[in-house]
Amino acid sequence: MNKIAKLFVTFISAITLALVSFTSSFAKVDGEYIVLGSAISLTGKYSSNGVHTQNGYNMAVDRINKMGGVEVQGKKYKFEIIYYDDESNPKRAAQLAERLIKQDGVHYMLGPYSSGLTKAIAPVTEKYKIPMVEANGASRSLFTKGYKYLFAVLSPANQYLEVAIDLAVEKNGGKGVKIAQAFEQDAFSQDVRLGILDAAKRTGSEIIIDDKLPKELNDMAATLAKVKAVKPDVLVVSGHTKGALTAIRQISEMKVDVPMLAMTHCDAAKLSKQHGKKSEFALCASQWHKNLSYKDSFFGSGKKYAKDFQKEFGYDPPYQSAESSAALLVFKDAFERANSFDRDAVRDALVDTEMQTFYGNIKFGPGGQNVAKPMILFQVRCKGDDCENRVVAPTKWASDKFYHPIPKWSERS
Amino acid sequence: MEKVKQKDLILYSGLIILGLAAPYLFSAFKVQLTYLCVLIVLAMTWNLQGGEMGYNTFGNILFYGLGMYLTASVQVGMFFPLAEWTESGGEKTFVHTTAQYFQGIGVGLLVSAIVPAVIAGAIGYAILGLRGHYFAICTLGLGIAAGEIAGGIEIIGAGQGFTTPPFPAEIVDTEARGKFFYFLSFALLIGTFVFVKYIYGSRFRLILNAIRDNEDKAEAMGIQTMKYKIVGWMCSAFFCGLAGGIMGGLIGYIDSTDVAFDGREMGVFMVLMAILGGKGTLWGPVIGATLFHFFKEGLWTLILGWQYVALGVLIVVIVVYFPEGLMGWLREKYPERFGEVIDDKDRKAQVELK
Repeated sequence: MNKIAKLFVTFISAITLALVSFTSSFAKVDGEYIVLGSAISLTGKYSSNGVHTQNGYNMAVDRINKMGGVEVQGKKYKFEIIYYDDESNPKRAAQLAERLIKQDGVHYMLGPYSSGLTKAIAPVTEKYKIPMVEANGASRSLFTKGYKYLFAVLSPANQYLEVAIDLAVEKNGGKGVKIAQAFEQDAFSQDVRLGILDAAKRTGSEIIIDDKLPKELNDMAATLAKVKAVKPDVLVVSGHTKGALTAIRQISEMKVDVPMLAMTHCDAAKLSKQHGKKSEFALCASQWHKNLSYKDSFFGSGKKYAKDFQKEFGYDPPYQSAESSAALLVFKDAFERANSFDRDAVRDALVDTEMQTFYGNIKFGPGGQNVAKPMILFQVRCKGDDCENRVVAPTKWASDKFYHPIPKWSERS
Repeated sequence: MEKVKQKDLILYSGLIILGLAAPYLFSAFKVQLTYLCVLIVLAMTWNLQGGEMGYNTFGNILFYGLGMYLTASVQVGMFFPLAEWTESGGEKTFVHTTAQYFQGIGVGLLVSAIVPAVIAGAIGYAILGLRGHYFAICTLGLGIAAGEIAGGIEIIGAGQGFTTPPFPAEIVDTEARGKFFYFLSFALLIGTFVFVKYIYGSRFRLILNAIRDNEDKAEAMGIQTMKYKIVGWMCSAFFCGLAGGIMGGLIGYIDSTDVAFDGREMGVFMVLMAILGGKGTLWGPVIGATLFHFFKEGLWTLILGWQYVALGVLIVVIVVYFPEGLMGWLREKYPERFGEVIDDKDRKAQVELK
């Protein structure tokens, strides 16, 4: 055998040895810790929201562990999370889910950030019958596949902006409106688009611009130029954080006048901080707002959560963080009700979940989506240079009246 | 084809036995091993262009992605209406029976090998007249364009992505799926290796080398370079398509730009792996891909958030210190040991050419 071949064989055997010694996996429950696994986008296009998600998870883990942990069969356990970076890539996410389950021996999963990645992970968790509570995969198609081990604490994506269209129609005296829309080419935004299509059909509205935005979103001038030309009643944009930031930046640069602007991810983008007055009057869909009156015994109210979060991480929590924290509360509740670490027992307990958290009521529908919590809309409003998000719909929690129409740029100071 | 020597026979049978035993020895690592097989295939096929022919292509990702979409589409389309399967929202869910699943993936893989090869022929005819950087940039565009186009085609899921058929539920063994895809990819790896090895012993390879070393001279000597370039690319596309088809089934979810036409990752990785191992050698891409995969799986999670910086450093180190790859470096360092044994013909052929 030649030298190179020998070297190669030696190398292979060394690796073999290393792998064999590594194969002994950890337990699902390690001493006093219940080990959860999660692949999170720490790099790549979803990195900012990935970090919001991780912060939400970490905050809840700390809080639950500090307040006594999870009690199962009379013994107190603490949560621990194994994180991997999925690089905002579904392929990587699926691979890491496999790795968490097979190599790290994780028996309970927390969701990744974004619908696309959740779509990639769900078949894996389903295959191994691993219960996954996810907080950031809203795409409707996740809940129509008949997944039995997938639970989402959030409302499906198609509900995000339907309400906005209803509002626009209402302001138009019940008559249909002209809608211009631009959506990123990803699972989540395309689902939001479906919601708008449904709403348009229902209200007899007309869609006059229907654009697609690329994934690495940093320019939508072409769409805005069309908007300037055809003057729609509503402009709808969805493209995660980058979509919201790009839209506001270019709308203000190009001085696009549109009576109503509806978006997603304004709070994750810290729109009111980043763009200040330029972002005023933007209408945003949100899963959660700190002013809502839900409560629980771990975080108290939404306001208290926001304050604690601010103290810990130095920024106001977007709903992505809040829903992620809620996912752990759901897990804790399920473990205690199951009073067991058996995966199927935990899964059955999750099915029966019915609870209130600071983030909202949680009860899972047959597809695994949360059916107990409505979406809300807030509007960015400014006093001087100080801008904040005020809830305008639904009326039960509205702190402010919906301001309509948006004044023209020539009239704005 | 050169007769396989006895020493080589031991090496090959050893590797094959290791490959067959691997999913049982390292049961938990099946998915990573499947990735490894696919990565090696991609590196080896890239090497045919970049290493042997001297045409640095970034376009092979096109065939990989095509293979992925084709396999999944055929697998679904053979039994159910494809449009309803991928229709956004997916209100209807169809379930493949065990027989349907395997028939579907079988036919799908067949299609995913042939169609990319044909397309490679057509595209090659159009663009293989370009040389050097122009060719590289042009192929870079191919992958990006394909991703954007696929993201707009509703019948394959557009921006929503395409969920491939789940493994049949009738097979209760949770390990079965992993084993199935591992052996599929391992078979592909063996097939590719045998094919490339065959090419290495053939006149075809010398022609490719002639094109790389001096295309005009080769042309002047009466070689129809265009024909050989196209055939070379079609061979790559054939195996890339198969690799993509297997990966699609394994990942279970196809996204246009992040999974299928993933030029930024897979497209770059295949080049990097071939260069790391040493382009223009038989074993280089294999070693390069293996090292790269271990580096990636082993270190990346330890340096969360910094892995791409590490990758960048790795690229710089490779380019600066090992411009000819590990095999090239070894060859330079121990020419006598190297030249005598591995790839006798290759060495001699190179000496003669020089």
